[in-house]
Amino acid sequence: MRRMLVVCALALFAGGVSLVRASEIRVGFTQDALTLDPGNPGVRDTETIIRNMYDGLLTRDSAMRVVPEIAQSWTQPSPTVYEFKLRDGVTFHDGTPLTAADVKFSMERVLSGKIGGQTNPRKDLLGTLDHVEVVDPLTVRFVMKAPWPLLPAMLPFQEIVSEAFVKKVGDDGMVSAENGAGPFRLVEWRRGDSIIMERAPGYYGGSPDILPVGPARVDRVIFKVMPDNAARVSALLAGDVDIINALPVSAMKRVEDSGTARVATVNGTRTAFLAINNAKSPYADKRVRQALNHAVDRKLIIQRLLGGNATPLNGVLSPDAFGFDADLPEYGYDPAKAKALLQEAGAAPLKLTIDCDGASKDIAEAIAAMMQRAGIEAKVQLWETAVIVPIWRDAAKRADHDLFLTSWGNASLDPSDIVMPTLRSGGRANSAAYANPEVDKLLDAAETEIDRDKRKGLYVKAQELIHEDAPWVFLWLPKDVYGVSKRLHGWQPSADGKINLHRAFVD
Amino acid sequence: MSAVTADAGLASPSRLAWRSFRRDSTALIFCVIIVIACAIAILAPFIMPHDPADADLLRRLQPPGWMEGGEWAYPLGCDQLGRDILSRLIAGARISLGVGFAVVAASTAIGLGLGVLAGTARGALDAVISRFADILLGFPYLVFAIGLMGMMGPGLDNIVLTLVLKEWVVPFRIARGETLGVSRLDYVEAARAVGASRLAIMRGEILPNILSPVLVVATIRVAHVIIMEASLSFLGLGVQPPAASWGSMVADGREFLADGWWVSTAPGLAILIVVLAINLAGQGLREAFDPRLA
Amino acid sequence: MTVQRLVEKLGHLLVVLFGTSVLTFAMTLATPGDPVTVMLGDQRASPEQIASLRHDMGLDLPIISRFGAFLWHAVHGDFGRSFFHRRPVLDVILERLPATIELTVAATLIALAIGIPLGLFAGIRRDGVVDRLASLGSLVGVSVPGFWLALLLMLAFSVSLHLLPVSGRTGYGGEPPAVTHLLLVDSLIAGRPDAFVEALRHLALPALTLALPMAAVLMRVTRGAVIEVMKADYVTFAEAKGLSRPRILGLHVLKNALAPAINVAAIEIGVLLGGNMIVETIFGWPGLGRLVVEAIFSRNYPLVQAAVLLYAVTFVILNFIADALQGALNPRLRA
Repeated sequence: MRRMLVVCALALFAGGVSLVRASEIRVGFTQDALTLDPGNPGVRDTETIIRNMYDGLLTRDSAMRVVPEIAQSWTQPSPTVYEFKLRDGVTFHDGTPLTAADVKFSMERVLSGKIGGQTNPRKDLLGTLDHVEVVDPLTVRFVMKAPWPLLPAMLPFQEIVSEAFVKKVGDDGMVSAENGAGPFRLVEWRRGDSIIMERAPGYYGGSPDILPVGPARVDRVIFKVMPDNAARVSALLAGDVDIINALPVSAMKRVEDSGTARVATVNGTRTAFLAINNAKSPYADKRVRQALNHAVDRKLIIQRLLGGNATPLNGVLSPDAFGFDADLPEYGYDPAKAKALLQEAGAAPLKLTIDCDGASKDIAEAIAAMMQRAGIEAKVQLWETAVIVPIWRDAAKRADHDLFLTSWGNASLDPSDIVMPTLRSGGRANSAAYANPEVDKLLDAAETEIDRDKRKGLYVKAQELIHEDAPWVFLWLPKDVYGVSKRLHGWQPSADGKINLHRAFVD
Repeated sequence: MSAVTADAGLASPSRLAWRSFRRDSTALIFCVIIVIACAIAILAPFIMPHDPADADLLRRLQPPGWMEGGEWAYPLGCDQLGRDILSRLIAGARISLGVGFAVVAASTAIGLGLGVLAGTARGALDAVISRFADILLGFPYLVFAIGLMGMMGPGLDNIVLTLVLKEWVVPFRIARGETLGVSRLDYVEAARAVGASRLAIMRGEILPNILSPVLVVATIRVAHVIIMEASLSFLGLGVQPPAASWGSMVADGREFLADGWWVSTAPGLAILIVVLAINLAGQGLREAFDPRLA
Repeated sequence: MTVQRLVEKLGHLLVVLFGTSVLTFAMTLATPGDPVTVMLGDQRASPEQIASLRHDMGLDLPIISRFGAFLWHAVHGDFGRSFFHRRPVLDVILERLPATIELTVAATLIALAIGIPLGLFAGIRRDGVVDRLASLGSLVGVSVPGFWLALLLMLAFSVSLHLLPVSGRTGYGGEPPAVTHLLLVDSLIAGRPDAFVEALRHLALPALTLALPMAAVLMRVTRGAVIEVMKADYVTFAEAKGLSRPRILGLHVLKNALAPAINVAAIEIGVLLGGNMIVETIFGWPGLGRLVVEAIFSRNYPLVQAAVLLYAVTFVILNFIADALQGALNPRLRA
């Protein structure tokens, strides 16, 4: 007992000194994982963590190109059939080999739409997939009900689980037990606090299209849960963690000046925009909507409020997305023109309210202040996300609302995941009540068009029409900002938010 | 109850107490601070140098006048949207103080009334009201506030309503406790024996005697309510932009503690000074009226 | 405490629990907002999937059936599945509960250790140096907003002086085997001084942030009680009888001064449990407070209902204990 007291006292004094660690990477992360089951991670942040322990058929490199991972190659014998050849010698963390049967099981588990008796919304990520066939232990065939050009873009979201393991622990057990084929395996999950992983010894090496190939380069990876911005930044500056996500703009300068850490940015995948209620007068008039586009100085807001960390957009898509039209003209900042257009449309003087949630309060207020200068009496109204989003998705409920500052994510970087839900008439998230039959025709055709060039052409045409109609005030694409310790190498941020530490190492 | 209360109840406590309060100069100083704060709040629209909602991104995070890069036209600097902090501080005084006093006034009136009622009526009525108070008391404050604000929507009147619903329980419990204690005293029993109506007893005998502890606790509660409103605004449940309460201003400035510390500091200090003054004045009141509670 | 009183108190508890459930349920109904929208975010979802999700959550049932089902299951200990964690609500809550208990107990102990002795000393030697300093300090203690205090402490001890960790509950070493799930206790049981120290270092700032305002209140209440007691007749009588000062202090003053302090402590613990969400968020403490408020914002109804019930039960039990202790300490107050 006495000895313990002495040791305690000594340890207390020494506590301020950073302990020497065997090669380990620590990530200061905004959220804890909700579950460890890749069949239904629930949110993107959980997927980011899980992806270090589970590999998929395909994955994306940091430039967001789709590359094979557990699959060695694939072909498309017909518009509705894809055939994947698997790598030989891939094993799960418990030592059992990964075969085509496990691939079939993993896909059909998601396709069933239910996990553990609960609805699994991930089913829709597999599109028109009908079933998966095992051709031989290293070959699988995906059979679609109808052609779905998106499958390769969507497969990186699916990871392979072991059929035997799932049957052993059950769906409920998959929440807290892990047996993947990824570069790291689970050591411990301290709920709400941290997830500790260690190098998986039998790892097959990873995708050969992303170098270097081989086992993980560090012994351990820890994801530490730190929801508070100030705490995360302090941890990075103190050297307690090596990577932090969601670095706030206000802290960027401090990180750059610190000498021990740097800022790393990447184009994000969430398009930010102001949805205009196209069904409400006077917004039905295109001139009014275009006037609103001219009334906002996007570049100033990006520069001043976002620290330069956003790419201004003239349309819907990210510059990295498939089918991005780089030739869309800009609705430049021109308050005089805005005033003129409003006069012409007989809508002056215009009074409106911008709905927003707590996180985007400052941006909404800045936009409102700019609109004032164009003679528009703009106010901001704060809402909880859970409340305002359903209001804007219901035609009756949003009838009196004017503008909605919101965003939509497009992690697959395919227009189908963003333009369809938000701008096709009847789309699930078409808050702007936009309805253009020509655009609908183009989008529907692109859903099943296998020829890449033809498909791209359809989307370009759609973007031009949408730009002219200006159903939104087009804003920007925020960058994802990370703080990275200077002793960390071998990792760059990627647009889909993945923090895959397979090839990362520390000095 | 102890013998002390009965003694105090007989010898015109109020006048004695006020005299001793006035003699306590430190308490007076803090009363003056409170009066100044209230004056600022009332005269706000006339004394603000700028429009508190005027945002100019080019003035974003401008330092206070005495620092490099600042100008005296904006003496306390500008916030993250380029709005003058001094003007927002003055405008915010209205909200923070207004909410504080309104909530305490309303909740004290309700709590007092219900407390005396429950204390005199006893029986079933007492049980029902007391259980209701227990339910509200056991409900976690923030959960209740967030839930209620979620139901009613944001806005100043909803904040007041929410806080009143939580706050009335405290004066209720004190009033009820004191009423139960006082109504056992001889002269109240005497009045009842003579046949005085319950209302007359409440007004004549009970109310004057329990008023002082209730009022004294009310002064502590003002400070507490101001902080609760600040906490709710800190969580984003408070006033609608561009209006600002001191609490929401501290929350806004949280991101910029390193390179824009003035955004949080000014409203934080304002809260601290006003709340401290109220507490000190309240302590003076307590010491004068009833040292037992000091 | 008679059997009759006990039964009465139990009756109160049941009424409070039922009333709390009704209130919470009514609030969840009256609050706009759709958990399915929050859950799905931007993910592709077909109308069939959305309908299926709503069915899982029981959102397509009429109100009375929902409430009835909730009560029925709750009585059997089943609080449903959390919408987001896809696991039973009770599991999720029980996981995070030990952290909040540890924080609350630590904060309470610190507050008692600072507040009561200071209050006693200040009351006995009234108007002395200690009294004046402590009184001023306690006034500042109740005037500082909690979120400000948290940020100040963090800036001082973690960022500037690097003495204490910025956030979280554990360091990066191994955790001791879980017996009570309270890290401090478990690490002692397992004979792991390093884990004990790590846990203590992480606990220090959040506990201090919560403890200081509570200590301030306790100090003031104790001081007031001491002053009153010292004035009372029986003390002067005892002095006249010739009892030594320490004896008087021990017998009368302490016992009577502790009573209101304990009463206040019980209420304050209830307040701590209900309001430490801000501190938990700022310090990244993986406790229940943070979980509950996240649940409200994401409309995770089952979790909110279960958590609020838990708070209500705790509060009633704490008050019960406080009443009993008060009665034991000072029979005169057993009104």
